[in-house]
Formats: sequence, C-alpha cells, structure tokens
Amino acid sequence: MIPKDLLINKPASEKIVAIAEEQFKGKEKPLFAVVGDLAVDSRYGEGAVYVTDNRIVAVGDGFDDGFISLDFTNIAEISVKRMYGNAVLKAKTTGGSTLDLMRFTFAVADMCDAVADFITKVNEGETVENRFAAVEVTFRNLRSFCPKCGRKLASPTSECLNCKGKKKMVSTLYRYIKPYMGKLIFCIFLSIITTGAALVPPYVTSMMVDNIIPNRDKRMLVIIILFLLGVYFAQYAIGALRSYILRVAGDGIIADLKKEIYAKAQYLPMKFYDKTSTGSVINRVNSDTTVLQQFMLRITQEAVVQLFMMIGIIIIMLSMNWRLTLLSLIPVPVVVVCSRFFGKKIGPLYRRIWRRGVAISSILADTIPGIRIVKSFSKEEKTIKKFSYHIDDWMAEDKKVAKVAAIFPAAITFLITCGSVIIWFVGGKMVIDTPDKLSLGVLVSFISYTSMFYTPVNFFANLSDSYQNALASTEKVMDIINAEPEHDFGKGSEMGVMQGRIEFRNVNFSFDRSKKVLNDINFVIEPGDVVGIVGTTGSGKSTLINLLMRFYDDYEGEIFVDGVNIRDIDMSYYRSQIGYVQQEPMMFRDTIFNNIAYSLPGAHPEQVLNAADIANAHGFISRLPDAYDTMLGERGVGLSGGEKQRLSIARAVLKNPGILIFDEATSAVDSETEKLIQDAINRLIRGRTTLMIAHRLSTLRKANKIIVVDKGNIIEFGSPEKLMALKGKYYKLIQIQSMSEQVAAEKAAENFE
Amino acid sequence: MSRNFIDGNEIRITVKDKIFCDVEFFTGEKFENLEPRRLFPVSGLSEYITFLDENGEEQFIVRKLDNMEPLQKELLLGCLEEYYRIPKITRLISRSEKHKIWLWNVETDRGNYTFEIINHIQSMKMFYDKRILIKDGNDNRYEIPNIYELDKRSQKLILPDM
Repeated sequence: MIPKDLLINKPASEKIVAIAEEQFKGKEKPLFAVVGDLAVDSRYGEGAVYVTDNRIVAVGDGFDDGFISLDFTNIAEISVKRMYGNAVLKAKTTGGSTLDLMRFTFAVADMCDAVADFITKVNEGETVENRFAAVEVTFRNLRSFCPKCGRKLASPTSECLNCKGKKKMVSTLYRYIKPYMGKLIFCIFLSIITTGAALVPPYVTSMMVDNIIPNRDKRMLVIIILFLLGVYFAQYAIGALRSYILRVAGDGIIADLKKEIYAKAQYLPMKFYDKTSTGSVINRVNSDTTVLQQFMLRITQEAVVQLFMMIGIIIIMLSMNWRLTLLSLIPVPVVVVCSRFFGKKIGPLYRRIWRRGVAISSILADTIPGIRIVKSFSKEEKTIKKFSYHIDDWMAEDKKVAKVAAIFPAAITFLITCGSVIIWFVGGKMVIDTPDKLSLGVLVSFISYTSMFYTPVNFFANLSDSYQNALASTEKVMDIINAEPEHDFGKGSEMGVMQGRIEFRNVNFSFDRSKKVLNDINFVIEPGDVVGIVGTTGSGKSTLINLLMRFYDDYEGEIFVDGVNIRDIDMSYYRSQIGYVQQEPMMFRDTIFNNIAYSLPGAHPEQVLNAADIANAHGFISRLPDAYDTMLGERGVGLSGGEKQRLSIARAVLKNPGILIFDEATSAVDSETEKLIQDAINRLIRGRTTLMIAHRLSTLRKANKIIVVDKGNIIEFGSPEKLMALKGKYYKLIQIQSMSEQVAAEKAAENFE
Repeated sequence: MSRNFIDGNEIRITVKDKIFCDVEFFTGEKFENLEPRRLFPVSGLSEYITFLDENGEEQFIVRKLDNMEPLQKELLLGCLEEYYRIPKITRLISRSEKHKIWLWNVETDRGNYTFEIINHIQSMKMFYDKRILIKDGNDNRYEIPNIYELDKRSQKLILPDM
C-alpha cells in the first residue's frame, strides 16, 4: 500500500496513483516517489517513479501496461541523463537493455539524482536507512515552499522574498526616511509658513486694485508695500533655510541607502555575482539611489507643500466667489485621468531605459578596466562601435519617453490655460454686468489664485512620472536589498584553533541544474596533510575549493572541518581560519603595506615585514623607492604577476590560518619566480593542512596526498607513491608532464648552444 | 589539435536511442553511439554539429546540415530535438509578479505550463530585436521565436521588460 505520508515531491494525478496502488496492493510500501512533469514525447505531462527498498516502479503513458517494475538486482546502472532543458532517468539492466524510466524538466532533476544515487548505493551494499536519510535531506531542501504563498524558498531556512516585501514602495522606503523625520517635519513646518506667505500677495492685489489705488491712499500704499516686502523676505529667507536642511537630510538618506546596498552587496553569495553584471550593481548603487532620494524628497516635502497650497487656495477662492471656484475645478478630473493614462504609458518605457542603462554600464565596467586587452587586440574601434550601438539604443528608448513626457505636460498646461480663459470670460462678464457682486480687484486676485491653484494640480499630475521612474529604480535596489544573503554571519559557532581535518561526505554540486559539476565527493584529509588536487581544466578542482571556502553553500551532502559541519560554523570566523592564495591575486588601490595587512587590520609593521620576508617579497619591496608605502594602481598595476603573487602569499602568512589553499598560485609565472614563490609556499605550509591545485605537477613535491578529479568525480585518492603504483590518471599526467618538460629542457639547451 | 570538420553529405547516420546514433562515413569508417550536439544552440541551430563519443570526446564536426540528404537531415534534427528541449511559447496566458518573482502561465507548442522567473533582467534575453530566450528558476529554457507574431496582449506584457 502507498502510505499517506509518503515522501513525494508533489501529489500525483489520480491515474498515476491508481496504477501505483495496483502495484503496492500487499504489505510492500514505497519509501519515496518522484512525480515528473514531462511525458515521453517531451510534451508537458506526467510520469512518476516509486522506490521501495528493493525495486523501482515507473508509471507513465510510455510503458505498455502503464508501468514498469525493476528489481534493484536487475539494475546494472541507473543514472540521470541531463540534456538541454530536460533530463531522463535511465536504467541499464543486467541483461544489457537500456530503459528510460521517466522524463522530466530540471525542476525535478535533483530528486531523480537522489533516486539514482539511492539505488546505486543500495546495490553497492550501503544500508537502506543510511541512503534514505540522504534522500530525505534532498527532498527537504528541494521542497522548501513558503507556507503562506506557496512559492519556492531559496533555502529551507530562508525567508520568503515574495511575502517579505509586500509593503508598498513608499512604506518600504520609510525606514530610510525615519532617521531624518525630525528635520523633514521641521521643513514641512517651514513650508507651511512659506506657502502661507505665497498666498498673501494676490489677496493684497485685490485691496490695491479695489481700494488703495482708486482712493489714492498713499499712506496705505506705503504700508502695504512694506508689508509685501516683509512677506517676500520671510518667504525667501525661510525657503533658503528649508533648502539647506532638506539638502542635509537628502544627503543623509542617500548615504544610508548607498551604504546599505554596498554592505548588502558584500554579503551576497557568489551565485548572485555569477548572474549579475558588475555594471548593473554599480548602476544600482549610484544612479538608482539618487532617483530614489529625489522621489522620497518629492513625496515627503513637495507633495505636502503642494497639498497645503492647494487646500489654502481652494479655501480662499471659495471665500471670494464659489461659482468661479467651481468653474476653475472643471479641468481637474481631466488632468487626473490624463495622469493615470500617462503613468501606464511611461512606466514600461522607464523599465526599458533602465535595461539599456545597465547595458551601457556593463560595457564601461568591462572595457575600461580591460583597456590593456582592448588596446593589445586593437579593438578600440569595435569597442567604440559597440558602445555607440548601445548608446543609440538607449537614445531611441529615451526619445520615446521624451515624446510622451513632452506631450503630456503641454496638454495639461493647455487644459489649465483653458480653465483660466473660462474664468476671464465668465468673471469679466460678471464684473461688467454685476460689479456689486464681483469687483475688478477680486477678479484679478482670483485669476492669480487660479494660476497658483494649477501648480499643485500639475505637480500631482506629473508625480506619476517620477513615481514610475522611482518604481523602476526601487525594483532594482530592492533586488539587492532583498536578495538572499550568504549564510548567517555571526550565527554559527566558533571552534578555537582549527586543527585542519577536512571531510567531504556525499557532496554533489551544480551551478545550475543543467549540469552537475561535482558528483558524490567523499574524502578525508588529516591535520597537517599537504594535498595536491590535480585534474584537467574544468574537472571541478576549483569548485571543490569554492565549496570548502563556502563561496557556495547550496550543495548536497556535508563538509566537515575538525568534525563540525562547516554550515554550522560562523562564516566570518571560518574564513578567517583559511588562507587562500588565488591564481590571479587581487590587489587594491592602496599601499603595499595596507595590501598585505588587509588580512590582519592593525597588524604591527614588524608582523607585515616578517610576512613579506617569509613570502620572498621583502627583497623587491625594499628596492622600490617608496618601499612599503608604494601606492599600487587599481588591481595592483605597477607590479609583476609574480610580485603580486608574493604579496598575496604574505597576506596569507599574516593571517596565520589553520588551513591553506593555493589555487594554481604559480601557474602564471616564469620558472625563476616560481621557485621564489615555491620557497615561500614551503615555508608557509609547515604544520598546516594545505590544499594545492596545480597544473604543474612539479609544484606538488611536498604533497603527501593527491586527489585526482575528473569530470566532477574523484577518480584517485592517496599518496603520490600509491597513485604512481596504480598507473592510473595521475601516473599518466606525470608521464605527460615529464615528457614535455624534457622536450622543453632539450629545446632550451639547443637554443643555449 | 585540429578539429575534424566534415560536410553533412559525407556521413550516414542511424538513430539508436533517441539521442544517440551510429555514423558511417562514405569511406567506410564507422562510429557507434555518438551523441550529436549543437556548438551554437542559441545562434546556429543547424550549423556546426559536434559528435561526441561515450567519453565525451569529439569525433568530428558537421559544418552545415543543408547539404545532407533530406531523410538523414530529418533523423539528425530529430535526435537534436530530443536533446534540446526548448518549448516555444505561443501565448502568455497570464503573468503575475510578487516581489521580483514572476509567475508565468504560458501556452507552448508542447502544452501549457506554469513557471517562475526569479529575475526578469537576467533571465530574459532578446536577439535580433524579435527572438526572446527565457530561463526559468529551475534552469529550463523557453523560446519566443518572434515576439511580434504573438497576440497583442502577450506582446504588451512582455515587451516592456525587453
């Protein structure tokens, strides 16, 4: 029978369940099942596999009886064949035939991997309980859905991005405004004063036109003029103060926003950077934050000011003449409708412009730092052409926005002008026909208020433009702020001094689901071991290191250091215990001293000197005119590859790590420099667990263990002597390199002669 | 190492197991269980088809399929179709977005399907100003051969993001 709590990725259709139930009529129960999403003809459909402790039952339309059952003992090999956009669970029987058990998209590929692993390992003699536990972990990881909205979570413990950020844009941005609320409220208070002051002059105009000028009252004229001067002075002085405070608050908001995005970007996992261009991230930190700041100030300040002004004007106008007031409101609904239409029209255009802006930033981020490559290949013209193409593309999009953005305000202004013309016509008639009901002064004053009234109307009508622009930027900024960060910094444990015992247990990994990069990796490295990792390019050597460094945390299986799962160790502490020397060392635009001390901020100068000495770097540094104060250019411009590498080793020395990792540290340097680096490495690795990826096998002389990686699998593991005796891949690699080194040496000798 | 480039009319293939085939050259040379793969699965669907053996080693590359015998070409394309599953979207039935996760419900040449796109900017790419390739949250691929041949509503929903 099929248990109700069967481990299954999603409910199967009634048809499939009915066939499966037929198969499990008796006491036999499937342990778990996987429901696929494709039919055999690769159309969207359904199939399923049910796995017990000794057989697998595949159900689907592709089989004659709707199912096929295979005992594990009849399976010689079972695997997932990944293709492009789909995969097949294939079984090779002991009789030699091959069967496609289920076809599926990558949505269920990892679960089918678990099926294949389960059967393979059980056939190899592992206990069902052990393997089933591994299957449960896979299912748990892949079935992590938000209980609220049902969407898939990035990891089982992560928050649902869908539910987390449902608040509206303004409320999301509120927390950036909050620290400056005092200043902003004060600015609003100042705005009320300036708005009130702005409403005074038109009222005074009616007094002048109706009373003071016709009555030739000079004394009153002087008083009114002085009063007006005072009002104007107050209005502009307070306005200046308000502008200053607003600027300070605005800078604060943008600084906080930039800081937070930058800080968040530091903790984003490598996967984010694998998929996001540098230009895009730079664009978000620079341009998008500015757009948001402007919008926030518009909302918190201008909108409030304009609202007050609108209310004030309406009250004054109503008190002057309610009929004319109603007339002046006629264009308002039209303006509002137009505004909504405009918003819908221009919103998508802004998104398209943003996309093109990112393309431009990406070219800049690629070509300016890579200017040497551009020049060395004489590709200046091609680069310019490519940049021009993208600029033209951006211009074409911006032209569309410009068209809409130009027509709309013009149309609105025309409507507003129509409103004023109507007031002139009706009001003028009233002044001529019934001067006792409406004086000329009141009409002139009213017209002034009318034109003032349309300023806030116009503002709110155009607000949708900046809202849409800000919305596009908010999406991009929130993309970083809400992205799933690297695994919990500061949440795991710290273990004291790291001994350096490393264990990989059933580790599988893929960058995306279309291809497995590491497959069932198992090995143990004891403290103090020096381990060489060899294999052809793309075999998975660096990925192995990336997982150990926790650059990627979403692998299957477990990695232990000193018996503790590395996912349970505090990330910051963990990385502080590992010295990592890359193939292409990264130097920052700073002094040599600070570049070395990067690994140990606040290091004593003698510590840095000592580290440089061990790394064979002190000699060349001391010969530089500015020695340790030498300022390096971006990415270490000014130093040779070997010199940068030695600084990078000095960094690792200073860190005094428990585990050392060298990722092809000597691959890009000449033999003499290699020797210098190798000497430095030999001094550094004493007593430390060391992993060395190397193409030149001669650099692995100190290694007491070798891992041979091939197509994501460990095919050989043991001491160099043992592997040489095995005469396998390692032996072959040594043979090939010895031969090529011999040829190179002979050629060199010939040249010398 | 020089690559072995050949023309389509130099070989005769027999499909064995959907994506695998045996190949015989007109010279009589034979290869078994080869897997044809596109070297340009995005930009050149019927050019430069590489044939890999069971160890993933390339045996030869067919430059173009144009000069293959029609039946042979059909067999090879069938093989490639099995391997490269890229449903063609014929209509966007609905699309909803909640905090950067887009849920697309589409009609394709292989039936209706619903998938999630985690990031519109990174997961959708437009080629030649009309062809759109899409990658969903599970790394499955979809194609819109010509966006301007979709219905107006689908165009209106998709184009603003391109």
